[in-house]
Amino acid sequence: MVWLLLAAHIVGVAAAAVAGRRDIRAGLLVAAVAPALTTLVALVDLVSSSPARVSELSWVPALDLTFAFRTDALALMMTLLVSGIGTLVFVYAAGYFSPGAAGSSRFPASLLAFSASMLGLVWADSVWTLFIFWELTSITSFLLVGHKNADASVRTAARRALLITGGGGLVLLAGLLVLAGDIGSSLTGLTPVSGTSATVAATLILIGAATKSAQVPFHVWLPGAMAAPTPVSAYLHSATMVKAGVLLVAVLGPAFVGVATWQWLGLAFGATSILWGAIGALRHRDAKLILAWGTVSQLGLLITLLALGSGKAVFAAISLLFAHALFKAALFLVVGEIDIRTGTRDINELSGLARSMPVAFAVAAVAGASMAGVPPLLGFMAKEAAIEAVLGTTGAAGAVAAVAVIGGSILTVAYTVRFLVGVFGPFSRSTSSTTSSTTEPTEVAPMRPAMAAPAVLLGLAGLVGYAAAGTITDLVGPAAVELQADAAQYSLIRWPGLKTAFVVSMGIVASGSLLGVVLSRRTTAIPRPIGADTADATIDGVLAFAPRLTGHIQHGSLPVYLATMGATASLAALPFVFDLPTDHLVLWDHPLQGVLALAIVASAAAGVIVRSRLGAALTLGAVGIGVSALFVTHGAPDLALTQLLVETIIVVGFVLGLGHLSRRFPKKSGSWRAARLAMSLAGGLVVMVGLAAASAAPAGTAPVAELADSAVSEGGGKNVVNVILTDTRALDTLGEVVVLATVAVGILALARIRQLEAST
Amino acid sequence: MILSRSPIFQLGVQSASPLAVIVGVYLLFAGHNNPGGGFAAGLVLGAVVILRTLAGLQKPTFGPALITGGTLLVVAVAAAPILWGDAMLDQKVVSFDLPLLGTVKTGSALPFDIGVTAIVVGLVIALLDGLSTSDSLVSKGNPA
Repeated sequence: MVWLLLAAHIVGVAAAAVAGRRDIRAGLLVAAVAPALTTLVALVDLVSSSPARVSELSWVPALDLTFAFRTDALALMMTLLVSGIGTLVFVYAAGYFSPGAAGSSRFPASLLAFSASMLGLVWADSVWTLFIFWELTSITSFLLVGHKNADASVRTAARRALLITGGGGLVLLAGLLVLAGDIGSSLTGLTPVSGTSATVAATLILIGAATKSAQVPFHVWLPGAMAAPTPVSAYLHSATMVKAGVLLVAVLGPAFVGVATWQWLGLAFGATSILWGAIGALRHRDAKLILAWGTVSQLGLLITLLALGSGKAVFAAISLLFAHALFKAALFLVVGEIDIRTGTRDINELSGLARSMPVAFAVAAVAGASMAGVPPLLGFMAKEAAIEAVLGTTGAAGAVAAVAVIGGSILTVAYTVRFLVGVFGPFSRSTSSTTSSTTEPTEVAPMRPAMAAPAVLLGLAGLVGYAAAGTITDLVGPAAVELQADAAQYSLIRWPGLKTAFVVSMGIVASGSLLGVVLSRRTTAIPRPIGADTADATIDGVLAFAPRLTGHIQHGSLPVYLATMGATASLAALPFVFDLPTDHLVLWDHPLQGVLALAIVASAAAGVIVRSRLGAALTLGAVGIGVSALFVTHGAPDLALTQLLVETIIVVGFVLGLGHLSRRFPKKSGSWRAARLAMSLAGGLVVMVGLAAASAAPAGTAPVAELADSAVSEGGGKNVVNVILTDTRALDTLGEVVVLATVAVGILALARIRQLEAST
Repeated sequence: MILSRSPIFQLGVQSASPLAVIVGVYLLFAGHNNPGGGFAAGLVLGAVVILRTLAGLQKPTFGPALITGGTLLVVAVAAAPILWGDAMLDQKVVSFDLPLLGTVKTGSALPFDIGVTAIVVGLVIALLDGLSTSDSLVSKGNPA
């Protein structure tokens, strides 16, 4: 079933690309089919509580490279989010683009490709499978952020997002390698690791997760990613992709349970992000940026809870992850609708939308209240669990987490209030008296049902989720139990009673609302994107430095290249000179070899002396043919045949190339000539001694008999050399011919460029 | 230039190239049990293309197609065993009876070798393309 669903997505990508070429909205609706199917399957699995689907495809068994998938409870919950919200977002996007919008194959196709990558990521049961899909989400995200690629600032934002998440991916790969070296590549039944390698793996993996989940200081790409169309922001940059890092921390948590670095680094990332993200949300005026910074803060909260690692904290983290996806996607969809219907997202310019866009206001109010943690909403139950979890944690870690979570929650309420008042409130806070229209309610275009319906559904989910607390507990509970067995005793509670946590959270709502109302009356200037500027300056610096460095290394002088390579090879082969056993050396096995060697030396000497270029090419050919004759006398006809043919082609190549050059070699000055002579002599000597040493002292004996046997029995051929090439070591051959093809493409491209230059 | 379109050269290449193609194809099939193989076959066939181009009998235009086709074929042969659950590049040997030829034994190494041949010929053509200038190869008469 896993394969069928993935195949449905791949077919869907192609179909969406075809359908989207003429009409982007048709493409998006076609693309919605595969996620809808997946949601259906996930719901059926959930209702029938069928066991986890496991499927595995071994790719290179010797290297433990497998595609392994497993739809356990956590994966099933994530599937509901990825495909469920995905379906809604595809429908919404069909309304987002106006009827006359230009056709695009790329947008619907890459949005669905992202959806498939994300599914692969949440289903992955092997670190390598997970990593492949992790990188795929980075790439599809890059394509989607850069959708409006005619705009230079959009391109910068997309590049920043790709380089930060891609760089994080490399760090993650290093971490996963270290981890897999300790406990293997499977992601189920992780055994706790310890020691230095565990610390290294924990650090690297957390950094990788932090780049993807936009944790301070790697968060700078997320606000920039808001340059994407709003459906993308709602789907990738709030509900799903940014959760990948959180998911990774959750899944690998059981392995790092005893590693102090894991807890403290996670707390550091999480706590800083909670506070700095919330502060960022209070500084910005663009409604979408407010939500984006809010996402940074919320992701920090999830990482903090997972870093604490207690049963209650993990349960709270998974519940919040679910609730956050619902309310944040709803809020983004509302902001996109406002953007389309009014033409702006600036809270200083918007006013009176509560009256003119009542449906959007209702959705935003419910989703916002869920985000702030106000009862009776799903967000409240999850937040309540989080506060109980941090209050219940003792020690320094608990204190840090409590300060960050409670402080962050107050700020969260504040930016939610500021967002709601700023966007929907009746009055304008703009002090610029030049624009008289700011006191009037913003003009609003007619509603688009395709946009409103998904937002309403997602907004309602918060209310329904509260009412159906038991069902939600059944969904998130097993997922949390998979990560931390202690989580089994907890459930989402509708009315906790007057306990400490409840009093604290009511205090948070009260003080946060007060702060939000005060701040929303104040006009703020657009803040400078400090971190993003630094990131872009670094990238630009690297991009400027690279050509200069390349210019120094790749100067274009062929003699210097050759000299460099020759000198390096000579130095590398130097150690062989000292372990050359002289007792193995024989002059020849057969006198004919001596004759051939003399002929080769004579040809080579002639090549050095001769002044005509054609003559030099021919002497080189003679050397090659002599060598292939030597191969024959050594009993290697295959090698001889290939050598002979290669020599023929090379001579013809020389002849062709010589047409562009003068007939004779130009005169060289004495010192340069001497240097080249010395280099050639050294190179020749080192190769000779190196070969002699290598053949005199082979490392072990070659398994000749085994190879010959297996050639006939398995490869079905009597020519051992060729069976080795096409069967025994066929992977090497595959690599080599791919290199050949790449070289050929490069040569063809160079020839094409020259033809183009010649024709202009 | 170095290329004189002498009738002797042209006629010689023209009559020799079918034989050389047969030798190349023989090497491709013989490689399993005797000296030869995809790489050697590719070089022989590549040499034929070079000679024919030098003689002005044809233009080296199908290089990209050979490279693409060869690479796709090689990768397909390498990946195909995964589909039925074997390891990548796993060898399948089949033998069947043909009229006239008797029992013929072949395997998945053959398409793999054909792919290698195509890539090598493509590479040779690419080299020819890269090293030649347009006036030295395209036969527009003979500028003395």
